[in-house]
Amino acid sequence: MKIVVFITQTQDTEARIKVGSSGDSIDTEGMKWIMNPYDEFAVEEAIKTKEAYGGEVILITAGPQRASQALLQGLAMGADSAVHISDEALGETVDSLVLSKLIASELGKIEGVDLIFTGMKIIDEESVQVGIQIAEELGIAHLALVSKVIDVKPDEKKLVCQKEIDGGSVSVEVSLPALITCPDAMNEPRYASVPNIMKAKRKPMKVVSLDDVDFGSLGIGRDAVGKSGAKIKTVSLEVPEVERKLRIIKGSDETTVKGDEIAESAKELVKLLRDDAKVI
Amino acid sequence: MSSEIWVVADIKADGQVRKVTFEVLSEARRKLGGSVCAVLLGSGVSDKASELAGYGAEKVYVVDNPNLKDFNPDGYVKSLCELIKKHSPAVVLSGNTAFAEDYMPRVASGVGSGLAMDCVDIGMTDDGRLKIKRYSHSSRAISTQEFSGDGSAMIATVRPNSFKEEEAAGAGQVVNEDVGVTDADIKIKVLEMKTKESDRPELTEAERVVSGGRGLGSEENFNHIYDLADLLGAAAGATRAAVDAGYCPYDMQVGQTGKAVSPILYVAVAISGSVQHFSGMGSSKVIVSINKDPEAPIFAKSDYGICGDLFQVLPPLTEELKKALSE
Ligand SMILES: Cc1cc2nc3c(=O)[nH]c(=O)nc-3n(C[C@H](O)[C@H](O)[C@H](O)COP(=O)(O)OP(=O)(O)OC[C@H]3O[C@@H](n4cnc5c(N)ncnc54)[C@H](O)[C@@H]3O)c2cc1C
Ligand SMILES: Cc1cc2nc3c(=O)[nH]c(=O)nc-3n(C[C@H](O)[C@H](O)[C@H](O)COP(=O)(O)OP(=O)(O)OC[C@H]3O[C@@H](n4cnc5c(N)ncnc54)[C@H](O)[C@@H]3O)c2cc1C
Repeated sequence: MKIVVFITQTQDTEARIKVGSSGDSIDTEGMKWIMNPYDEFAVEEAIKTKEAYGGEVILITAGPQRASQALLQGLAMGADSAVHISDEALGETVDSLVLSKLIASELGKIEGVDLIFTGMKIIDEESVQVGIQIAEELGIAHLALVSKVIDVKPDEKKLVCQKEIDGGSVSVEVSLPALITCPDAMNEPRYASVPNIMKAKRKPMKVVSLDDVDFGSLGIGRDAVGKSGAKIKTVSLEVPEVERKLRIIKGSDETTVKGDEIAESAKELVKLLRDDAKVI
Repeated sequence: MSSEIWVVADIKADGQVRKVTFEVLSEARRKLGGSVCAVLLGSGVSDKASELAGYGAEKVYVVDNPNLKDFNPDGYVKSLCELIKKHSPAVVLSGNTAFAEDYMPRVASGVGSGLAMDCVDIGMTDDGRLKIKRYSHSSRAISTQEFSGDGSAMIATVRPNSFKEEEAAGAGQVVNEDVGVTDADIKIKVLEMKTKESDRPELTEAERVVSGGRGLGSEENFNHIYDLADLLGAAAGATRAAVDAGYCPYDMQVGQTGKAVSPILYVAVAISGSVQHFSGMGSSKVIVSINKDPEAPIFAKSDYGICGDLFQVLPPLTEELKKALSE
């Protein structure tokens, strides 16, 4: 099985975030960049599939120089090689259509790909589209929100999965090659240990510069990479602070309510919901 | 490019039109100008056209084809791409559902359009470009974005419960379209579909939501959540930790991976309050939490709460609520 995983670096959204001076993006000064958490599930699923059926796992990212850290992490988890489409312009807003064309064209150079895994979304921009758009560029089937890979049949070139839909789930079969987007329910991603990160540095990493990209064949100009080429532009961004009332009823010792306090707290909460919040 | 504003109807497993479709039709009429039309794709759905006209659709484009079923994106992608290429609408909208997240990115790619997912506000710039607001960064940031106006259809999906639905008589002229979706277009073979009927409101549409976390401890104990939800006429939700532990099904998950909800009342029982969970419910109007840990992060983001053991607090709380609701 030849398996490809698209991974990307994202801002750590659990960290403190504030609006940058331009007013249309998050301040990235001192920002911690991590592998997009959903991409960790994608890498894990790829490695599990390789372990079960043999083959190799290739990672692809399009991003600035720092994105090589995410590739190293994926290689340390067990991927075999990586492709880095590298340019500082890829660290800014890039149209998802442009990204999907860039990535699809690199993917097209790898022969005999059977299976592609991507994250379901990235946690900073949350555009929820690049993975699936690459499938459209390649003209192959995509399966979104796959919660379980049920059966891989390498000889028949088929795959059976469970995927989540509104109000339930479906089990589906597709012919390979196919692209799968991964939510968090799939698996438990393994850690990249320090020794494995050291070893990962010796694994093959191909760096592709935008100068090497044949933009003509992609039907876009090089200037499409960047804010000016975007079909959707962010004009302003806010990090709103929601004020909450913080009326938490605690016990007399400032911990849990106990004894008679329990019934009292229930009464008081209902009163607050009725008279103060007016929601019941 | 025509001046038509399209709203793609979202049809549920039971064949009914999802409420968000009416919300989007209503808001499009209020905010976007132009001629608001509906697009109805599916198998055996033609009779729904009049419902869409009831929310102001001037035209209803219908593709009724046996290959459009089972939430299988392939036929929908082909149909919508063909319709967009043929009629060049200015704007294409739909509700943001798991299904829209599945097929819309491919449609945008197929017709070379920009796509904004999960918008909570829509409007037009003076020069006729779609302008939207959407959350990003695990819903901690909200951005205003504008389409560049390059002539391609401007596509966006809208978060359920963002707008009020409002009936209005539209002409509802039915335009039957045959885009010729054949078996060969369908790459995904659906082997089995499991959908469950629930008497409770849907999470994304509900005005009240009661959710449980890992602290519930078992599938059986989740009945506490269902009972409280039923008492309040609420939908039932859960955290990833509760879903992972097998206490409840995946489609109850609220958060970054799961559903985004913004009800009037959100009750969080035995939930610690992670960034990822808040990503899906942080915009709720009133948040109430019950947790036995006085330091639980959720208390710092709640309006009201009780620090106590859920098994001790819920019985008297249920009694008090029953009294208050019967008054
Ligand atoms: C200041 C700033 C800095 C940014 N820095 C980066 C950066 O360093 N790297 C970066 O990728 N984006 C960066 N972006 C975001 C970038 O502009 C795009 O918004 C983003 O990569 C597009 O992904 P999406 O939100 O559409 O992803 P989604 O559609 O939400 O992602 C789905 C999946 O697609 C795949 N995927 C997405 N993007 C890529 C990619 N670039 N390479 C490989 N696979 C991918 C992943 O598997 C991902 O899980 C930055 C944005 C800003 C504003
Ligand atoms: C990529 C990614 C995506 C994710 N997406 C989501 C998502 O969509 N939704 C989501 O919810 N999470 C998501 N998570 C997981 C998230 O990080 C948290 O792990 C999860 O939300 C924690 O769930 P919890 O609050 O139920 O469990 P815990 O954090 O274990 O909290 C349980 C709480 O219950 C309280 N408790 C225990 N017993 C009692 C009792 N008897 N009475 C009262 N209180 C009690 C405890 O004090 C504690 O605060 C995601 C994580 C990742 C990495």
